[in-house]
Amino acid sequence: MSKRQAYEAYRKERQDKRRPDRRMCSAMMLFFFSGFLLISLKNEIAWQGLALSIVVPALIYVATMWLPRFFPADKLLLSIANFLCALGVLILYSTDLDGGTSRGIQQAMYYGVGILVMLFCIMLVRYIRRWSFFIYVIMFGAALLLALPLAIGTEQNGATNWINIGGTSLQPSEIVKLALLLVLSYFMSRNRLLPWLLFALFSLGVLMLQKDLGTALIYYFTALFMYYAATGNLLMTGFGLVGAAGASVAGYMMFAHVKKRVAIWRNPWMYYETSGYQIVQMLMAIASGGLFGVGLGLGSPRVIPVYFTDCIFAVICEQFGIIFGVLVLVMYVIMILRGTSIATSARHSFHGLLALGATSMLGIQTFVIIGGVLKLIPLTGVTMPFVSYGGTSMVSCMGLIGLLQGVDSLNRDDLSYDYEISRSLQETADLPDADNR
Amino acid sequence: MKQLRFRFRALALIVIGLLTVAGVYGVYSVSTYGSRWFSNARNTRYQSAKRTVVQGDIIDRNGVVLATVDEEGNRVYQSNIKSRSAIVHLIGDNEGNVANGVDSFQANYLLGFETSLTERVTALLRGETRRGDNVTLTADSKLCTAIVDAFASGEVSRGKAGAAVVLNYQTGELLAMVSLPVFDPMNISETVTQNTQHPFWNRALQSTLPPGSTFKIITTAAALENLSDVESLIFTCTGATQVMDQLIRDYNNAQHGEITLARAFRVSCNNTFSQAALLMGDNALRKTAESFGFNDNFLFRDIVVENSVYPTSSRNDVEVAWSGVGQSQVAATPLHMCMVAAAIANDGVMMEPRLLSKVESPSGVVRLKYSQKIYRRALSAELAQKIDGYMKDVVERGTGTRAQVDGLTIAGKTGSAESAANGQNVTHAWFVGYIDDDAYPYACCVFVEEGSSGGSVAAPIAKTIFTYLKNNTK
Repeated sequence: MSKRQAYEAYRKERQDKRRPDRRMCSAMMLFFFSGFLLISLKNEIAWQGLALSIVVPALIYVATMWLPRFFPADKLLLSIANFLCALGVLILYSTDLDGGTSRGIQQAMYYGVGILVMLFCIMLVRYIRRWSFFIYVIMFGAALLLALPLAIGTEQNGATNWINIGGTSLQPSEIVKLALLLVLSYFMSRNRLLPWLLFALFSLGVLMLQKDLGTALIYYFTALFMYYAATGNLLMTGFGLVGAAGASVAGYMMFAHVKKRVAIWRNPWMYYETSGYQIVQMLMAIASGGLFGVGLGLGSPRVIPVYFTDCIFAVICEQFGIIFGVLVLVMYVIMILRGTSIATSARHSFHGLLALGATSMLGIQTFVIIGGVLKLIPLTGVTMPFVSYGGTSMVSCMGLIGLLQGVDSLNRDDLSYDYEISRSLQETADLPDADNR
Repeated sequence: MKQLRFRFRALALIVIGLLTVAGVYGVYSVSTYGSRWFSNARNTRYQSAKRTVVQGDIIDRNGVVLATVDEEGNRVYQSNIKSRSAIVHLIGDNEGNVANGVDSFQANYLLGFETSLTERVTALLRGETRRGDNVTLTADSKLCTAIVDAFASGEVSRGKAGAAVVLNYQTGELLAMVSLPVFDPMNISETVTQNTQHPFWNRALQSTLPPGSTFKIITTAAALENLSDVESLIFTCTGATQVMDQLIRDYNNAQHGEITLARAFRVSCNNTFSQAALLMGDNALRKTAESFGFNDNFLFRDIVVENSVYPTSSRNDVEVAWSGVGQSQVAATPLHMCMVAAAIANDGVMMEPRLLSKVESPSGVVRLKYSQKIYRRALSAELAQKIDGYMKDVVERGTGTRAQVDGLTIAGKTGSAESAANGQNVTHAWFVGYIDDDAYPYACCVFVEEGSSGGSVAAPIAKTIFTYLKNNTK
């Protein structure tokens, strides 16, 4: 090797090390390391926090740098999803400290499980070829799982959507989200209207029976979005929108609690003593944070009811400020952009619809919860994707990312396959127009 | 797949659009309402901050310290019980009974939420307790005490509830704001909490009341704008105008006969102004009222004021006729009526009322300095000068003669507003007016609940205020 070649090799290595994904990963690891360190040294030394300051950055490294060695991946999407998951762990741990709860530790475990689920979903999309058989397995399994709470469910916050299996409780409607996407996109890509309509109506009906209105809303709009994407039928989509509007007006007229929700949304201060309490507390928390926040681990997040799930965005705004809150929104927007790009570069309409469904589900859910927290729309009890406390929510969100990454890895495989073909064509055939770009 | 791609992008745009709306709305609402949400009495955050941060002082325009902290870090007010009671609604009390006093509405300064990171770190390294910023007000606390005294010395106004506001109409500085009855913030007894006059209620900012004849300033402005030759028009006052099935009567059933608008303003003839209101119609009157700030969402930087109302629903002639004399669901706060008078004095320009003159950190960093801002132009300078002439007439030889002060040109308008309270009709006394003198550019509004007559009950209190201003300001 000549001197010059050695130098070139050295430079290439240096450039490799400076790759942006590496830098982003290091920045994230540093952010969470210092964040957990700060909280655990706040009062007396909290060993759990110190452990998390190592574990969470390690999980980030595994998920964003190590796993992509085994299949091509969209690292930006992956990094943002992991950042939000770790942010949830950080916020939950910071609120644990003076409350004696252990949600931070649990959320870190769920995060680990989430990474495994993501991996599983990537495998699913990547390696299953006989969908014509598997889709029915998924469909009937999901239908059964979804209907299970009606038989053995427990009631939480007015909705019967939880089941207890061997000491752990889980919310089937969250996990069935993944099945919904697979089933809808499979049948839509094959233009088989009846099966997907039946499945969608069945899921919506079951959710209505369970009074899980927030999730029903997300299911409905995801199905509607996918229907428009697959058929381009504006008329029917318009009917769908009008139907949704009609249903909400009817709901407003018929149910007293829907009326109350809307009244609270219009003026929460009037109902402070009773039902407006939550939203007033959220608004005051956001206002206390101001532009730059009161600081990590400070403020009083625990006065907000369900600060750890529905209202966690208010806690983020209080501790990090509204600017950071807007940046979190921007992260979701970037995820949606990446998801759309994955959907548009898919080769099969099944994969394209799957990626689009996952993307729109993510976007709709984010809008429903953040819009609710900021009092743009009435608050409905859905979780904030990746950040909210909860195992099932984490599983479904990481599963969504898994589906997206699966489609993306196939796209990238296809691209490199194309590249190989064009290369071999260039080498073998004497094509007149083949240039060497 | 190509068509699919187009639709994918369209759908993604919709979702991104929704999220953008959420973000923009969030930033907008926090920047507009954030300080109001934060300073809410229900916010436990600044209550708990009081334990770790030493509250800053509140100082009036003459350097009198209105509120400070003792060695243990507790809030203490002036030692003179009368002085600290007079400004209790301006400052607020430590238990949060009075809404949006300086002590709570400016908590972000007083409790050091605006302190920058470097300042906090410096304080930490020096081992100092964190101190909040000191707030200097535009208000004159002695004037507030004088106003409370003036209420007490009036035969009718003694013991009555009421409010008074004094503004500098050229700059918008709030010189005084008093709500009666007052109470001692350091000793809130059972007699205060049980008092049916509701001492905690800040009537100057929170009570929207029928402005009665003081609203004729706005009716006049609307008439001059909308009715040509209204100045030469002769109205007929028989003491009671029949509108549909109801009679619009004058105060004390006075009969003025044939009367011009100028004279009607001077003697406060209800019949004339009802007829004028019917002539120009509800919409014209509402438009002028809205240009004076009615139906606007008041978002002043330093004070929280209840919004004034001019009804927007379609109404019958009786209601429109009553609106012309400031009744029938027309409602405004004493502060807003003071701003109306101030706009006439300031050639039609309404200044934003401001209360903070300076905010300074203990180490001398100036965080905020007074800056004046135009709230809105209420009417043209030409019209303002015309109404200015009418208002001077009122004090010179009309219903407001008891507001006259030797050596000053005073302009004003009295009002006796009827209101139903506990099933009974009661009459509130109003006076709005100002000194027409560039050396004393002050406007005031006096409101006496159940004071019956604006001319004989509210105007003398305004006279005391004007006299004080003449003797005590440069």
